[in-house]
Parts: sequence; structure tokens; C-alpha cells
Amino acid sequence: MLGVEALRNERSRLRQEIADLRSAICKKEQSLRELEEALANGGGNGDGLADEGGERNTGTIQTQLTNDDIARYSRQLILPNFGVQGQLRLKNSSVLIVGMGGLGCPAAQYLAAAGVGYLGLIDYDQVERSNFHRQTLHTEARCGMAKTESARIALLELNPSCRIHCHSELINSHNASNIMRSYDVVLDCSDNVATRYLLNDACVIFRKPLVSGSALKMDGQLTVYNYGAQGPCYRCIYPVPPPPEAVTNCGDGGVLGAVTGVIGSLQALETIKIIVGGLGEVLAGRMLIFDGTTGQFRNIRIRSKRSNCHACSSQPLITDLIDYELFCGMHATDKDHPLQLLESDQRLDVQTYHDKLESQPHLLFDVRSTAEFEICQLSTNAINLPLAEVLDDSYLKRFAVELQNKDLPIIVLCRRGNDSQIAVQHMRNRFPDHSIRDLIGGLHAWTRKVDPDFPIY
Amino acid sequence: MSVDVHVLLFAKCRELAKTSTATINVPSEILASELLEKLVEKFDLTSIKDNIILALNEVYIENLNDRIVLKKGDEIAIIPPISGG
Repeated sequence: MLGVEALRNERSRLRQEIADLRSAICKKEQSLRELEEALANGGGNGDGLADEGGERNTGTIQTQLTNDDIARYSRQLILPNFGVQGQLRLKNSSVLIVGMGGLGCPAAQYLAAAGVGYLGLIDYDQVERSNFHRQTLHTEARCGMAKTESARIALLELNPSCRIHCHSELINSHNASNIMRSYDVVLDCSDNVATRYLLNDACVIFRKPLVSGSALKMDGQLTVYNYGAQGPCYRCIYPVPPPPEAVTNCGDGGVLGAVTGVIGSLQALETIKIIVGGLGEVLAGRMLIFDGTTGQFRNIRIRSKRSNCHACSSQPLITDLIDYELFCGMHATDKDHPLQLLESDQRLDVQTYHDKLESQPHLLFDVRSTAEFEICQLSTNAINLPLAEVLDDSYLKRFAVELQNKDLPIIVLCRRGNDSQIAVQHMRNRFPDHSIRDLIGGLHAWTRKVDPDFPIY
Repeated sequence: MSVDVHVLLFAKCRELAKTSTATINVPSEILASELLEKLVEKFDLTSIKDNIILALNEVYIENLNDRIVLKKGDEIAIIPPISGG
């Protein structure tokens, strides 16, 4: 009989296979649609067929709205300053959305719905359950599918006349120019610093407006870079990247879906204003700061171009894309990477802890935040000691009695086994004679190796 | 002469400062760089001092060498970049 682990592996393999097959079907359906469209247009010259090289199809420029267009877009067609010309501009436009997450989903949704003719979607990642609360185009049934393909399915249901090209890869200095070249506007819906600098520099080099949105926790920011003669670029505002330890990602800091929804929708609005023209003043040279806790929007007048900007000044230092992961000292994804701060004798495998130590007297410090501790605890023995209290030494007073006994082993744990190492390092400096170790891989490893029913977040 | 000004902190700055608003007393005429230094020290912002936008009454302070004049009730916003999405 197969072991439980083998059965689980088989289950995830099947799930992945089904997701891949769904994705393949979706691609074929899209090809079929494009072929039918080409035939209906009396084609045969390849016009309307999907291109795989990342080049936008340079089909003929549409000069008339169809009856379907008129019915579909009637509510925006009658807007003053929009009209038939505005709709035709959208129909003939191409927009690239980088990141199909919390910002990219609402942005893509409104752009496809409004009638943008050609959308490019970039994301290297696959749909998973922790996406759904904010990434509103993806569905339970599409778990494991590429986010771009999943978004394409949802967008085509919304507006079958939108042409969508999926770039299911990580954008980097090598592929950026090939991917970006043919688009009119680029949306930064990414989730990391390195990609933000990459998109900025690429948009400066290829002369494209960059509609930049970002969100974390309850906060959001929005502005349009590289727009108009005086519009600043990202580097004019932030010439140097922040140190990695000062950057929080959504996986660690959390984010509310309605907050990314607000910013993503506003990115779509600015994009429409850029394409249509005459609808109003584009948010360039200003930054919109959204504070979801108070429901307040602030508009800060930011600087015009920095005269010595490395990217967009008249004598730029950056004339080619560089290595942005190196420049920022951070990866171009928001995934966590396991740290290796401790020696192996300062660490403990979850299985060994479970087999040997769990039933013995010991101190079990869980250094996650209080909100995270509330979600799940390893056992009733676990004591919540947030990392901040270790680093500012306030734990010394709280556990003065327990810490006197150096024969009482101390085990430190967190979600994934990074913060626990930082805590152990700090505590060992203060108590070199105590036995202080962390649990390798944290609670994630516990679920994987010891208790599959333990929740994962 | 010194004046009381309102300080608004956003995102990461709010976390580091452990508050979202504050009123502080500062000289009514001060170099922007000195104001920044004071704010960084007061609100524990050392880790992101090179990455923040400082805005006086919703206008970005472009040049840190500028001497700025503050009056009672002025609003200083401290805004760090957000990169999530």
C-alpha cells in the first residue's frame, strides 16, 4: 500500500496536470477564436493571428465602431470628451500590464471592459488559494494555472473582442525590450523593488508612459511616470533603492483586497485618460497617497524631472538595462528566500523536535506577530514573543525568571524559519551558555513533515 | 523662534515611528536637510532615510539644501515608497 506521502504527491501531480491541461485548452480556444476572426475578416494573410514573439500584431487601424461596440460601450460613449473618437483610440491601443496580482487584476478588468483593443499580460506565477482575496480574476478551478492564462479566460468572458497576449515569464533585462517595444502604455502592477526599477528604466529608454501603482497593508500609492515633457521618472523620486531589510512584501505584511482594488482601478483610469486624451489631467508630477485606515486620499505635488537623473535626464548614465536584482540587492519576486544565518547545531529539524523534545520541559518561543499567532499555534506550550520584543530586549524583563535557568532548552519558531534564526542569533549573544535553537522551516515544515492538518498561510 | 507643525507618517514610516500623526516643535526657519535629520531621529527612520519623500503642505521638498520657512499648523508628510502589489 502506498504511504500517505506518496498519495499526497500523486494528488498534487494530478492537480498540476489538470491545471496544465485546462491552460492548454484555453490557449487552443484562443487560437481558434483568432483564426475564426481572421477568416471572418476575409484574412489569409495572417492578420489577426496570435504572434508568439511578443510583437504586437500591427493590424489595420480601426476607423469605425461596430453595432456591438456601440451597444457595449454606450454608457461611456455618451460621456463628454470621450465619444466615438475616444472609443476608437481605446480600440486601437495596446497596453501592457506587468503583474496579474492584486493590482493587475482590477486594472486589466476595467481596461478590457472599457474596450482596450490589445492587452499584454505578464506574470511568471501560478494561481494559488492565497491569491483569491485580492486577485479577483482567478478562480478556485484555475488553481495551479499560469496567472496570465487564468486572467485571459476571465477577461475574454468579460469582453471577447479584446485581444490578449500572455507573457508567462518573469520580465528581466534580457526579455524586456522584446516584450515592451510594441505597447503604447505600461502598467506597473508588480510586487517588488527590482521590477519597479527595471520597468522605469525600460519605459524611459523606450519612451512609454508608466502607470505605477503599489499597495501594502492598508496603504496605496499611484502616479504616472515618464509622461509629458516635464514628468519625472521613478528614479527622479527614488534615486536609490531602499535597503532590503526595510522592504515588506504582501506575503509578510499583509494587504487588504479592497485596497489593491482601489489602486488597480485608478491605474486603469489613468491609462484610459492617457490613451483617450482630453478626458482630464493625467496624474503625472503628482502622487496620490491612499490611506485605507482613514479613507483619505492625498495628492502630493512631486518634483518635475531631476536635472541629474541617471535615467531620464538629458545626459543619462543608464542607457541600457542593467542587472536590477544586483542593483537593488533583492530578488525580482516577492517570494521569500530561506536565510542561512545559523550553524547546523543551532538548528533543529521539526521531526526531531516532535520525536524527542516536544514532551520534555523546554521554552517554546513563537516569534511571529500577535495577529499571526492568533491564526494558529504549534501547541499549548507555545509562547508568543514577537521578534520586535526580542530585538529591543523587552523580553528580558518579561521572562526574567525563566531565562535564569540555563538548563531549560529554548526553541524558537516562526512561519518559515527566517525570523526564528534572527531571534536565535540575538538571544545567543545574550545567553551564550543556554541551549537556544530554532525550528528549521518553521510552521511550514511542521505541516509538511509532521502534521498535514496544521493550517498553512 | 520655533513653531508647532503637524507631521503625517505613511506606510513603513508609520510602523517605524509607531504613530501616524504627531505634532513637533521645530525652528521656524530651517534647512530642509536639517528638518529631515530631525524627523529621522525623532521617528526612528534611519533605515529608510535615503528613500523618503518629504512634503510640506502637500508639496514635495525638492532640494534638501533649501532653507524653508515654517509657520504654526503647517503639515509635513513623510512618505516612503511602497513596492507591494
